[in-house]
Amino acid sequence: MKTINLFFQRFFKTEVLPLLANLQLAILLLLAIAVFSVTGTVIEQGKSLAFYQANYPEHPALFGFLTWNLISTLGLDHVYRTWWYLALLILLGATLGACTSTRQLPALTAARRWKFYDQPRQFEKLALSAELETGSLQSLAALLEKRRYRIFHERNFLYARKGLVGRVGPIVVHISMLLILLGAIWGAMTGFMALEDFPSGETFKISHIVEAGPWFRSQLPSNLLVRVNRFWIDYTPEGGIDQFYSDLSILDSQEHELKHKTIHVNDPLRYQGLTLYQTNWGIDAVQYQVNNSPILQGKMAPLKIGGKNRTWGTWVPTKPDSSEGVFLMAQDLQGTLRIYDASGKEVSTVRTGMSTEVNGVTLTIIKVVGKTGLQIKADPSISIVYTGFGLLMLGVVMSYVSHSQVWALQQEGHLYIGGKTNRAQVAFERELLDILDLLDQEPKEQISELSLTLSNEVVKRS
Amino acid sequence: MNLVVLQNWLNNVSFAVLFVTMLIYWGGTAFPRIPFLPILGTTGMVIANLCIATLLGARWLEAGYFPLSNLYESLFFLTWGITTIHLVAESMSRSRLVGAVTAPLAMGCTAFAALFLPAGMQSAEPLVPALKSNWLMMHVSVMMLSYATLMVGSLLAIAFLIVTRGQTIELRGSSVGTGGYREHSRLRRAVEPVAIASAIGSNGSGNTMVLNLETNQKSAISQVASLSPQRLNLAETLDNISYRIIGLGFPLLTIGIIAGGVWANEAWGSYWSWDPKETWALITWLVFAAYLHSRITKGWQGRRPAILATTGFVVVWICYLGVNLLGKGLHSYGWFL
Ligand code: HEM
Repeated sequence: MKTINLFFQRFFKTEVLPLLANLQLAILLLLAIAVFSVTGTVIEQGKSLAFYQANYPEHPALFGFLTWNLISTLGLDHVYRTWWYLALLILLGATLGACTSTRQLPALTAARRWKFYDQPRQFEKLALSAELETGSLQSLAALLEKRRYRIFHERNFLYARKGLVGRVGPIVVHISMLLILLGAIWGAMTGFMALEDFPSGETFKISHIVEAGPWFRSQLPSNLLVRVNRFWIDYTPEGGIDQFYSDLSILDSQEHELKHKTIHVNDPLRYQGLTLYQTNWGIDAVQYQVNNSPILQGKMAPLKIGGKNRTWGTWVPTKPDSSEGVFLMAQDLQGTLRIYDASGKEVSTVRTGMSTEVNGVTLTIIKVVGKTGLQIKADPSISIVYTGFGLLMLGVVMSYVSHSQVWALQQEGHLYIGGKTNRAQVAFERELLDILDLLDQEPKEQISELSLTLSNEVVKRS
Repeated sequence: MNLVVLQNWLNNVSFAVLFVTMLIYWGGTAFPRIPFLPILGTTGMVIANLCIATLLGARWLEAGYFPLSNLYESLFFLTWGITTIHLVAESMSRSRLVGAVTAPLAMGCTAFAALFLPAGMQSAEPLVPALKSNWLMMHVSVMMLSYATLMVGSLLAIAFLIVTRGQTIELRGSSVGTGGYREHSRLRRAVEPVAIASAIGSNGSGNTMVLNLETNQKSAISQVASLSPQRLNLAETLDNISYRIIGLGFPLLTIGIIAGGVWANEAWGSYWSWDPKETWALITWLVFAAYLHSRITKGWQGRRPAILATTGFVVVWICYLGVNLLGKGLHSYGWFL
């Protein structure tokens, strides 16, 4: 058993890890995820089978191959939840982990290690290197310091560097990507999302769950109630919608208020891991009187009518035996309703609080009752994902910094200077040439003597 | 002055200035010996940049919110970003070639906004509730800036491809830093006298790559044929500036996407919902991540990363406009109703 274990450990280390840490694989994965993501934006997602059968027939197949059968077999109707898409994401996570541990952490250690160059020929391999007869290590140190280098200085050697964070950046990026992926998986397993729509005054228990991970029960308190105290819409003077408001209370099973807040779009209510968002609205009912009848309430139903405005309507009987009546239609909560007769002809409009004569009766509209559309969500992974987001932003910014290094050696009347950077070649070339230029303008001296009497100051400061 | 009149005026001036600037840059590329053209081009870009900034400022004053509510405003904001990043890239590279590719892009965007968009789509409109948020300003403005930056960066990659067509080339500049070493094909010890003094900081306008061989006789370095710096050539400069600009656009895109995610989570409870626009932002991000990694991959040397960046140019455009043309999803502005 132990040997088998050992064998697998060995196999993992020598075969699997290097394969996973392969950059070509990483690039292919990134591009593959990109390409498969495109399919989900081109093919409609989450429609019924009938929809795909109607739009992607067998004959003639779109582009000669894209049929509804292929779509449903491959899961192209829900790309981002197919096993193969999730497998790609998990594989990406695995390469990220492998890469960070086997390549990048060692590379960072290597980058932090440095040594002085003590041979002129060491400078020859650097693209940006020069041999001067003027200038001194001190003046070089001063120039580098002005450019925010950290300087190490000993006898006739000098080493300077800046931008080491640029080496740390990618590691932070990769670790934060891992955090985000893990957080997303955790959230998918434990979170849930529910949609509820209720009119003002109603109390409900969260029950219309539309999405949930296998372990979501732990997130949904069974004894919690929500009451919609009031729902309303503010309109702009031009009649457009300004904002939606729901005045909500969270209640325990005895209907004691635990929390109270008026929410609107972009400002949800949070309670113990649950978040209630304002996401939708509708018209629930209309209250009216016919002649001197008591106040009656008609449920408004959403009507599918072309155009972008939503409309709700209800049938109001105008005869006691319901043999005659009118349609009341409303598009918003501003209080205007249209009245249509049985044949569908518009006969009148009426405002709330007003009356009108139809079919020989007086119809008085008391009020139009709106209902709020709430999205209720629990996602315990949010803190992990947000931490990942924060680190990712930090990491990508750090990754912009170029890590620059400069070496110098003063020997036999010559000043050898060389440097390199990893990212900003052009800017670094300019910086180094600038320095060389300034050194070049210094008076020619016997610099070999000077090199032995270096001030200790620079050494101390670094 | 009336704000609306001012806007119309600036709208036309921006377009005209960018058109002329484009011709100047092209002229300067075709006839590098004509003096002043590079300075004129840069001046044109600065003027256009300021005109557009004023135009957007006037809108902000007039409408009372950050001017990113419709396609017209976003196109002008994009152009403002492109001209800004152009100035950054030009001062980094000191090459007039930058303007030869960025000016037509900037001109094209203003032309589309000013000439082809119907008047109804040009006027400022009130914001729908979902867009009334500071997160929106963060998210949309950073996204637009990242588009502008990535577009300029990948255009420079296209310029690099044009300059190096038919050549094999080794890249310098990547996060692992393989580019700092001397190439064997070039002499270790430069035999031709190369003056450092004359090559740097001379003409701020371009031609960094042309080593000035005449003025360096007095230079201390040139007199002894000793170790001297090996300078980047035109192709290498273009490649490196393209890499740096994309390297700037990538963090912007990352921050923009995250701001969008956080905003979506605050507004309707999900930081990611696979909406087409969101998905295309992710696709863009993945393509440019692949580009950054291709530069440090052995098998991907030479022109191939630049080809990937060129693909990135198309992808950014699809992300910015193409998805809206599909006309679905949260980001068609006003999904709530
Ligand atoms: C979504 C996934 C990934 C993102 C967002 C990402 C991001 C980055 C960024 C921004 C850099 C800095 C690039 C530069 O400055 O040019 C980088 C470098 C790097 N990445 Fe990734 N990466 C991802 C996946 C991977 C994977 C899967 C691997 C390994 C197979 C990998 C290996 C590397 C290496 C080796 C470096 C250079 C390391 C260094 O400079 O210290 N990356 N990555």
